[in-house]
Amino acid sequence: MEDLYAKFLPQFVSLARTRLATAIAAATQRDHAAAAAIMRELHTLAGEAGLLGLVEVVPLARDGELKAKQLHLTGTEADAEALLAALRELETTIERIGTARSS
Amino acid sequence: MAAASRDRFIVRAEINAGGETVISYGFDLTASSVFVVTEWHAPIGTPVSLRLSFPRILEPIDVPARIGDIRVAGEPGEPAGIRLVFDRAGGEVGEDLVSLLDRANAPTGEPGEEDRPYRVLLVDDSWLIRDMFAYGTAKFFERPGALAIDHAEDAAQAWGKLAKSTYDLVIIDYYLPTEDGASLIARLRGDPRLAPTPIVAISVGGRDARDATISAGADVFVDKPLVLRDLFNTLRVLAERRERVRPAPDRKAILVFDDSPFALALTRAALESAGFTVAIAADLSSFERQRVAFDPDLILVDVQMPEAFGDDVASTLRGWHGVQVPILLVSSLDQSELARRAETAQASGYICKGAGMSELVRRCRELLEVAP
Repeated sequence: MEDLYAKFLPQFVSLARTRLATAIAAATQRDHAAAAAIMRELHTLAGEAGLLGLVEVVPLARDGELKAKQLHLTGTEADAEALLAALRELETTIERIGTARSS
Repeated sequence: MAAASRDRFIVRAEINAGGETVISYGFDLTASSVFVVTEWHAPIGTPVSLRLSFPRILEPIDVPARIGDIRVAGEPGEPAGIRLVFDRAGGEVGEDLVSLLDRANAPTGEPGEEDRPYRVLLVDDSWLIRDMFAYGTAKFFERPGALAIDHAEDAAQAWGKLAKSTYDLVIIDYYLPTEDGASLIARLRGDPRLAPTPIVAISVGGRDARDATISAGADVFVDKPLVLRDLFNTLRVLAERRERVRPAPDRKAILVFDDSPFALALTRAALESAGFTVAIAADLSSFERQRVAFDPDLILVDVQMPEAFGDDVASTLRGWHGVQVPILLVSSLDQSELARRAETAQASGYICKGAGMSELVRRCRELLEVAP
């Protein structure tokens, strides 16, 4: 199973970076219409992280998913800020994992 | 027969850009780019989401890409389209993809394989097209016996041949007398025995023909005038590859249904390394085809997918299709909600993705009573 993680972790980090960059750009521009798509992306990211055993990523991604859902419902500035903060925390965690892998 | 060239292999290409989806075909695949035949284009540099696939050769794989070049009009044999350059994030996926097609080019070495021709049914009322195929078989196949092309002039004749024989691939023209190609494709997809057959639709009908045939269930749509070289190279790759749909009898078969290509690849790798035979599906139509063709001993279904909820899929399999094999829901939903959904859907159980791949493999072994 270790070989499997070694093979798939770089792909996960790469995909997660792409997903988060897109989500953060949409959230920064207050593109509320993108909230539903962000919600789906974060749900997928949570599942992929779970399969890889990245226990620190799963709750952050689920939290972001809930915040995107809230923004989708309300469209308020406060919920947009909350989503952005969640996405940035997730991004930091992914970067930490990526850095640890490459060091 | 010399190995066919992967760069002339035709793949189904689905481009998504700004909410618009374009389904066409691509070729000239490298680790960094692919050429997609389409009248659609956007400015160079425009980011797109690209999904490439070909039945039994290439499960759907998503590659982030950008428009690198636009060819508005070409010489004969050089159709108009766009070259999509894979993003850095998609680079590894691109390399995997090329490696996959390289493996597809390699003969499997199964006894008797080389003696069995790859059987194609061409459904087209044009004698010219049929003559072109006869010419192509002689020109592009060093050993023409490796490919057997049967012809049908209309849907009724095709249906008769399909009822009596088994084909590895069916090529269907959209414009047919009496019953059009899309209707024939829909009938094929609705028949349990014929549904898994790869179908290539061809036509001069442009977007209308493409939309109709793809909606009906064609795997790939190729515009006429045909790029014969690419189509025959594709047939050569298919003829050289004999991927068995049925698993070996001593290995348990698992079908995994998830909309995430990454989750599919990871799960397949883990289950295969644990000794299972695995088929994967990323959408409903692929899932249904695999379910019928693969006859799995266990089905794993993700819950939240764009086309359907996994618990609805499980419920339909149990209630409508009478499926008896174990079905597990796999999701990152909360455990309590997942348990409730599994019970309501009459699934055999559930696995939280957060429990990791080791737990997923353990549960599969447990359900299939396979020793570690």
